[in-house]
Amino acid sequence: MIRFSNVSKYFPTRFGPRYVLKNLNLEIPDDRDVAILGTNGAGKSTLLRLVGGIDFPSEGKIISDRFISWPLALSSGLQSSLTGRENVRFICRIHGVRANRETEEYVKEFSELGDNFELPVRSYSSGMKSKYSFAVSMGFDFDTYLMDEIMSVGDSGFKKKCENAISNKRENANIILVSHNMALIRRQCNAAILLAYGRADFYESVDQAIFRYQSL
Amino acid sequence: MKARSAFSIQRDVVFAIFVREMITRFSTYTLGNIWLVLEPLLMMILFMLIFGARGRGAFGFVEAPVFIFAAFLPFRILWTATMRQCASARGSAKGLLEYRQVRLFDVFMARTFIEGGLFIVVGIILGLGMMWLDYEPWPNNLLLTLSYCVILWLMAASFGMLAGMIGSVAREVEKLVSMLTMPLMFMSAVFFPMSIVPKQYWVYLTWNPILHAMELIREAWFGNYISPVADFNYLISAMVVLLAFAMSAYRLTWRRIVAK
Repeated sequence: MIRFSNVSKYFPTRFGPRYVLKNLNLEIPDDRDVAILGTNGAGKSTLLRLVGGIDFPSEGKIISDRFISWPLALSSGLQSSLTGRENVRFICRIHGVRANRETEEYVKEFSELGDNFELPVRSYSSGMKSKYSFAVSMGFDFDTYLMDEIMSVGDSGFKKKCENAISNKRENANIILVSHNMALIRRQCNAAILLAYGRADFYESVDQAIFRYQSL
Repeated sequence: MKARSAFSIQRDVVFAIFVREMITRFSTYTLGNIWLVLEPLLMMILFMLIFGARGRGAFGFVEAPVFIFAAFLPFRILWTATMRQCASARGSAKGLLEYRQVRLFDVFMARTFIEGGLFIVVGIILGLGMMWLDYEPWPNNLLLTLSYCVILWLMAASFGMLAGMIGSVAREVEKLVSMLTMPLMFMSAVFFPMSIVPKQYWVYLTWNPILHAMELIREAWFGNYISPVADFNYLISAMVVLLAFAMSAYRLTWRRIVAK
């Protein structure tokens, strides 16, 4: 369970504080795969970063007892001068994974990078990068996976593979997803949070949330 | 995923950043990571050649290259490099902070440890080289020398952290700090001992805690040098105050720094 209690987030600007989230009270159950919906600038990514613990609420608290992944976005947290393997090794180290060989080989295979895995991440195309960062996240066992537009890139074969991988993980994990791809959301999620008018509402039904979102 | 204690998380993270920093710092250079050691090594050799060429026993109590060794090595690596690395940690840590267990403080720690390790490695290489050339480079009182070095090192890390944090509010501080390095070398009695400075000028220099560190290191390194000004209590108080300042400033502001 991830619980938001009275969470507000604002960014100081020269026009005064600009609120992205205001007095948010929300509970994300463990057995729900949640899509975050909202227009550009509504605070979708901010919400994801707050859940991921790499940004902090200006007021209020976020309480959780789960292992939450880093927000998976394109090439986030990757050092471009290091090779794919070295980046995986680094992430293994900070997560206390001692069996880094296995994870490295898993990522190499899953990402379909072949020899490129031994080349600097700088040299990857954006498609390769998205495959790679997705594969890296699948190499670790989290309780909740945070995904920021990560599945919208890549070829169709790989997309299918990603969705299968997520379905496998789902037995003991859930996902929180930011995406503009409604078909994907319908397939992958069974709940949604709609960010609109400075509020965030939790919907048990994805269709209802999408309907509300599209009529904004 | 296994639950870890806060300590083991921090240990894992600092180690991971330590390795990553070592790999990436010179990765674009032809010689790669060799530069990590080569850079300070070449600089030291250059200083020794320049000053050593003026003749031996420049200050009466020790041979010139050994004097340079005992002064420039701690100052360049433990003070200047540690301070600069900490002050610039914020900018290069951007990508690392995408992981929730990585905090800015871990980057500070990893960078400080790297410079400490470099100090030891470069010191040993240079010392062995000088032994080969028939000098007597090793400290007279090794433990005491190293403890003074540790104080200087922690002081540099604290100052660097403070500079880095103030720099996140006002970038001008970065410029000021890099301008400070050169005059600080003159003011810290790096390439001369305080015993050759006339007494009436002491008062202008002794406020500087780095000078005390340099003089104390010299005393412990050379058995026959007694500094006229060195004050251990002043040095340790300055270090503790700076460290406390840096830690509390970090505690108060790290969320704001990360959010930028």
